Amino acid sequence: MRIRHVASSYIFILLFTISITVAGQSPSAGAVDNSGANKVIRTVFEDRVRQYASRREELERELPPLAKRATAEELAAHKSALLEKVLSDRTRAVRGNIFTPAAERMIRAIIVRHYPGRTRVELKKELSEAETKNVPVRVNGIYPETAELVEMPPTLLLVLPQLPDHVRYRFVGTSLLIVDRDSHLIVDYMANALP
Amino acid sequence: MRRVHLVLFVLYFTLSVTPAQFSSIAQSLSVKATAPTKARIPEITLPKREGSLRVVVFGDAGSGNKVQYELGRVMEEYRQSFGFDLALLTGDNILGKKSPLDMKNKFELPYKSLLDSGVKFYASLGNHDTAIERFYAPFNMDGEEYYRFERDGVSFYALNSNYLDKKQLDWLVDQLEKDKNAWRIAFFHHPPFSSGGTHGSNKEVRAILHPLFVKYGIDVAFSGHDHVYERVKPQDGITYFIAGAGGGIRRGDLRKGSRITAAGFDSNLSFILLEFVGDEMHFQAISLARTRVDSGVIKRRD
Repeated sequence: MRIRHVASSYIFILLFTISITVAGQSPSAGAVDNSGANKVIRTVFEDRVRQYASRREELERELPPLAKRATAEELAAHKSALLEKVLSDRTRAVRGNIFTPAAERMIRAIIVRHYPGRTRVELKKELSEAETKNVPVRVNGIYPETAELVEMPPTLLLVLPQLPDHVRYRFVGTSLLIVDRDSHLIVDYMANALP
Repeated sequence: MRRVHLVLFVLYFTLSVTPAQFSSIAQSLSVKATAPTKARIPEITLPKREGSLRVVVFGDAGSGNKVQYELGRVMEEYRQSFGFDLALLTGDNILGKKSPLDMKNKFELPYKSLLDSGVKFYASLGNHDTAIERFYAPFNMDGEEYYRFERDGVSFYALNSNYLDKKQLDWLVDQLEKDKNAWRIAFFHHPPFSSGGTHGSNKEVRAILHPLFVKYGIDVAFSGHDHVYERVKPQDGITYFIAGAGGGIRRGDLRKGSRITAAGFDSNLSFILLEFVGDEMHFQAISLARTRVDSGVIKRRD
C-alpha cells in the first residue's frame, strides 16, 4: 500500500514537473498571444501605428509624386520634403504615443518568450556590435543614412504586431524603434526591449 | 647542397600550407603580377551557347573606392568577351552617404560602361541600403523592396532580407505557387549559409527561407553580406553562393575547414558569371586579377 502511495506521489511530481517545464518553454516558440487583455493592447497599438501611417500618407500626397523610376536627385528631394512635412506635423509627438506602457509590456513579453535565455544574450551581443552607435534614439530623431539598418529577425517579425508598409521595427542596441521607412524619422521607441 | 636546401624549403612550404592558404597565396601573387591592369583576354570557361541567358552577380560593392572602379572595368572586359546583359546585385549597393553625388560615384560611374552597353541591373537591398532606393531607376526595382522578374524561362526573386515580414513571405509563397518557369533563382543580402568569419550563416533567415526554397523549388540562391566568395555545398539540393566581394574584401575571412564550403575565395574582389543552358546553370567566379577562382555546372532541381 505504502509502495503504491510513494509511486503515485512520484508520478504526480513527475507529471507536475513536466507540465511546468512545458509551460515555461516558449510555448510554440513565439506563438502570437492574442488572449484577452493582450488582444486589446495589440489592437490599440496597431491602431496608433495605423494613425501615424495614414497621416503620413496624407502628407506625402501633398508632395509631387515620386516616380517608380526616379533619379538620385528626385529621391533626395522627395525624402527631405517628406521629412520636413512629417516633422512639422509632429511637433507634439512624445515617447509612448505608440509604445504605451501596456504595449511595451506586451512586446517585451513577446520578445522574452521568443528569445529565451541564451538566445536573447546572443541577439543582444549581435546588436551591440552593429554600426548603430550614431543613431539618436529619440522621438523625431533621424535615423542616419550612414548607420546600419540591422535586419529584423524574421521569426520575431512573425510574432510581433504587424506594421503598415510605411513603418518598420528596428533594433538599436536593446531599444526597439518604429522608424518611417522612407523619411527615416524615429516615430517612437521603447527602451530595454531586450532585457 | 643549395639544391637540397631548395627541395627542403619547397617540401616544408608544401606541407605547412593548407590547400586554401596555398590558393590564397597564389591568388595574391597573381594579383601583384597583374596589378598594372593591363587588359588581357579573359579566360571564359562557360559554354557561350547561342541565345543563352548570361548574367553577372556581385554585391557589397557600393563603396566608391578605387577597387570598385577597377572591378567595374574588369567586368566590362568580361562583358565584351562573354556578353552578359543582366546584373544581379546582392545588396549594400550604396554604402555610407547616399546623396545624388554618392549615387553617381558609388554606382553610376563605376559601372558606366556596363550601363551604357545596356546591362540591366536588378538590386536587392542590404543592411547599408535605404528602402527609398527601391525607386532608383538604375536598380530596376520599380518601387518594390521585393519583386520577381523573368528572362528566357528563368524566374528571379529579389528579396529584402532586412525585413522578411509576413507580407513579404505571403507574397513569395503566392508567386512561387504560380510560377510556371522551371528555373527559380533567389537573390538577397543575408546568407542563410556562409562560412564567413565576420557574419556567417544567418540562422534566422535560414529558418524562414530555406524550407520555403526547398518546398517551392528554388534552385540557386545568391547572397552577400560576407565580403568573400563562397559556393556552399548543396543544402537539400539548393546551391547557395556568397557574392559579397564586389567592393571590398575581408582577406582570410572564410573559416578554414568549414564543412559547408564547396569552394571559397577570400583574397581578392570577385564576381560571378552565369549562363543558363537548358537544365544547366554554368558558373564561373572571377577575381579582380582576372583569374578563375571557381567554375562548374549546376543541374536544375526536379
